[in-house]
Amino acid sequence: MIVELFILSILVFVLGILVPLVTAARDQRVFRTAALGCTIIGSVMLGVFSLIILLTGQVFSWTVFQPFAAFSLSFSVDRLAAFFLLLIAAVSGCVALYATEYIEHLDGGSRRNLLCGCTNLFILSMLLVVVSANTVSFLFFWELMAGSSFLLVMYEYTGPDTKKAGIFYFVMTQFSTLFVMLGIVLLYGQTGSFSLAPAGISFLSTAAFLALLTGFSIKAGIIPFHKWLPYAHPASPSPISALMSAVMLKIAVYGLIRFLLDVFSPELWWGIVILFLGTASAVLGIIYALKEYDIKAMLAYSSIENVGIIFTGIGLYVIFTSYHMPGLASISLLGALFHSLNHAMFKSLLFLTAGSVVHATHTRDIEQMGGLVHRMPYTSALFFTGALAIAALPPLNGFASEILIFISFFSSVAVADPLFKVLLFICLALFALTSALSAACFVKAFGSVFLALPRSKESGEAREVPFRMLLGPAILAAACIILGVFAAQIFVLVGLSVPMPDMFLVGLLLLAMAVLAYAFLFFTASRDVRVAGTWGCGTPSQQPAMEYSGHGFSEPIDIIFSTVYRTKMKNERKFFDRKNCIFAEGTADISLMKIFEEYLYLPIARVSYQTATVVSRFQSGCLDTYLLYVFCTVIAIIIYLGWLA
Amino acid sequence: MSLSFILYLIINTCAVLAIAPLFVSIIKKVKAWTQGRRGPSVFQTYFNLAKLLKKEVIYSSHSSWIMRVTPLVNIAAILVAALFVPLVFVPEPVGGIGNIILLLYLLALAKFFMALAGLDAGSSFGGMGSSREMSISAIIEPTTIIVFAALVFVFRTLNVFEMFIASAATGTPATPTLILLAISLFIILIVETSRIPVDNPETHLELTMIHEGMVLEQSGSNLALMELSSAVKLTLLMALIINLIVPFGLATTLTLGTIVVAAVLFALKGTILAGIIGLFESSMSKMRFFRLPSLFAMAFFFSTLIIIIEVFA
Repeated sequence: MIVELFILSILVFVLGILVPLVTAARDQRVFRTAALGCTIIGSVMLGVFSLIILLTGQVFSWTVFQPFAAFSLSFSVDRLAAFFLLLIAAVSGCVALYATEYIEHLDGGSRRNLLCGCTNLFILSMLLVVVSANTVSFLFFWELMAGSSFLLVMYEYTGPDTKKAGIFYFVMTQFSTLFVMLGIVLLYGQTGSFSLAPAGISFLSTAAFLALLTGFSIKAGIIPFHKWLPYAHPASPSPISALMSAVMLKIAVYGLIRFLLDVFSPELWWGIVILFLGTASAVLGIIYALKEYDIKAMLAYSSIENVGIIFTGIGLYVIFTSYHMPGLASISLLGALFHSLNHAMFKSLLFLTAGSVVHATHTRDIEQMGGLVHRMPYTSALFFTGALAIAALPPLNGFASEILIFISFFSSVAVADPLFKVLLFICLALFALTSALSAACFVKAFGSVFLALPRSKESGEAREVPFRMLLGPAILAAACIILGVFAAQIFVLVGLSVPMPDMFLVGLLLLAMAVLAYAFLFFTASRDVRVAGTWGCGTPSQQPAMEYSGHGFSEPIDIIFSTVYRTKMKNERKFFDRKNCIFAEGTADISLMKIFEEYLYLPIARVSYQTATVVSRFQSGCLDTYLLYVFCTVIAIIIYLGWLA
Repeated sequence: MSLSFILYLIINTCAVLAIAPLFVSIIKKVKAWTQGRRGPSVFQTYFNLAKLLKKEVIYSSHSSWIMRVTPLVNIAAILVAALFVPLVFVPEPVGGIGNIILLLYLLALAKFFMALAGLDAGSSFGGMGSSREMSISAIIEPTTIIVFAALVFVFRTLNVFEMFIASAATGTPATPTLILLAISLFIILIVETSRIPVDNPETHLELTMIHEGMVLEQSGSNLALMELSSAVKLTLLMALIINLIVPFGLATTLTLGTIVVAAVLFALKGTILAGIIGLFESSMSKMRFFRLPSLFAMAFFFSTLIIIIEVFA
């Protein structure tokens, strides 16, 4: 029965791909709704399937097709895979529900049908990556995921920003596939098989680990491979951003965890590498997010931060495993996994509500928004839930997973090596800085977008979005609350013991205290309420220009972290005379330096361009030349073989 | 949940609400004395709160539900946080109450709402306060967490209750490490409760205002809740220091006698610590905002040093 459920859900997704492809020429709402309906039904079935596997703990495997003895197209679902399937199903369902309405407000005519189909292909490829039972099908679906997401990013292909973002994303994602492929080939060299089986310790498996880590880091947006995120997310439609940020990054996390658990026997220094990558991404990601004024780019940087937190948990897992402390190792890994799920929930919630805001105000610049809490009350409440969760505030789910990582950090006192303890404490301090900065970042985001007075005409005329654009995010917001408040109970339900405070009790106490305080005020205090203008030091009316802007809000942090934000000043002047006395015209410009682009990406791009220029001289396009090459090669091989004999 | 724990919830909440305004007044009194003034009565804060309860609440016409729920969320979060730090009686911890990380994040919850309320009315003063408060709280966070990690390191537990039981068993005076940690905790207290040299709680001038800037738009009974919650926050941080380094008299069993003795002793110890805070504030001048990171770096350095000493000892 369970096999049928799985097959059926895949078939529903396939149907969701075919319907819009067949009807691509007809711009009618019904086809799009049908395709997205397939996504919702498929997600529900997939969710039920993964919950059954999660709760019963049975392992499900299924061989579809076996062309050779060494290779088969086969699927296998254990609890780890089921956990990620649940994550995919939950986010996809809610995003599709939101998209049924959102997509009708997009430009593009019948191209929107293709968008629906491609979204289904994207979701299907992600879920097939997770259930892949061997490395070849893993790689195949990984590439399918990369390709379909590229098409989705390029939806608004006419925009100049989108073109740049698309090309950037395509190059990065192909690098990712390249490294994953390299890792898989190296693994094959080590074990001689494509199965996800233990590979032993050798130079080859270390090299394979480094290649895979690079490939997964590029996909997960780990610094310094992160630059594609802040380009691709603003360019793509909001439901797609939500899927990419909430789910696709987690597929990379899944890959890393799967290979670490099943294939490699990790060494201590691997853990340190992962921990460093994670901590650096977390701190730098949130510092860059604070400086960002494009709401979707800000959320993209915040995804970098959260993936950094997940990598920190994985790094701790590897470290504690190599110190033979399985208890702490499992807490760290559970923290990383739980944070993956939680981040998927609140980040898709934030991307969807940000999409509603962008839809209502026609801008992504948070400085042009403001006052939306009065105009979009439900959207603002949903965004607020997401902001509370992402700022790791109790009793919501962001806190529930971060506390697990905090607990494993705090328990590192049990590690024997003193130098190592100091290192862990430094990482702990940076980790704490990250979560405090993310609180500051989301105070800024919520404050600038929703509070005070509207700072533009569009923002003043914004309207609340239709019901279905609220329902999808509302389910996610409910998940954020449930996963936080009942975190301890959920762990008990799936049979894991975790030393975690009971958030339900804390939630009850919070509620009780608030009710008591309210009752106290109700019976003792004056009930007079007056509404008056904000005190503006005697100016007759409150103007939007007088309120604190997002730039102003993050100014102190800008100055404190000015060494991280390197700025570049450009000053070009033209003069009428030769001695530069009479000024004609000029431009001055202060901009944020893109450190990673200028010092890492561009040099690599330049070197490869130069190499390509040299190589292209051999490519004349003339048949005779190529025949000459073939002839020379044959001669060379004959001589070489003769030499050997 | 046992009966003694429920009693603990009631006793601790009543104790902290009763004594918090007193400590605020004592600090003001000491500061007045050092300036050669007589200063207000030590009960002035109680009178102020009673007066504010009688006043009407004024909301800005631009403000939203954030402004209306913030005082309640704030007092609820701070009072629950106060339950994590026993003042007079330490019961067995139940369901993770007393977890030191959760304590920190409950304080952050209050701060998050307060900062948003500062932005809500659209006044530039409130925004200035929120922006500064969030920046300061972000850069003090590494120090706070390192100090807490050092506490966890010394006591081998994450729970404040168990820390207090352990320190009550060791008795007074505490170990040198704990005294060093108490100095770091003292700096955290100064920062978290917005005192000189970080902020000046006495004035509403825009040069100094951080905490006062954020609550500028609050009025009437809402302002009373905000003031009370900041007094409770001060008291809970003071209790953390007091019960870690001078725990004598702290009740670990629930009898009327031990509770009364513990309450009287806590009030005395708290009065002395409040006096020290007052003298510390009077001996300093307000620091320029952008010189604060170097102060925090110093606190961070000291607390890391303690960790390193502990690790290699």
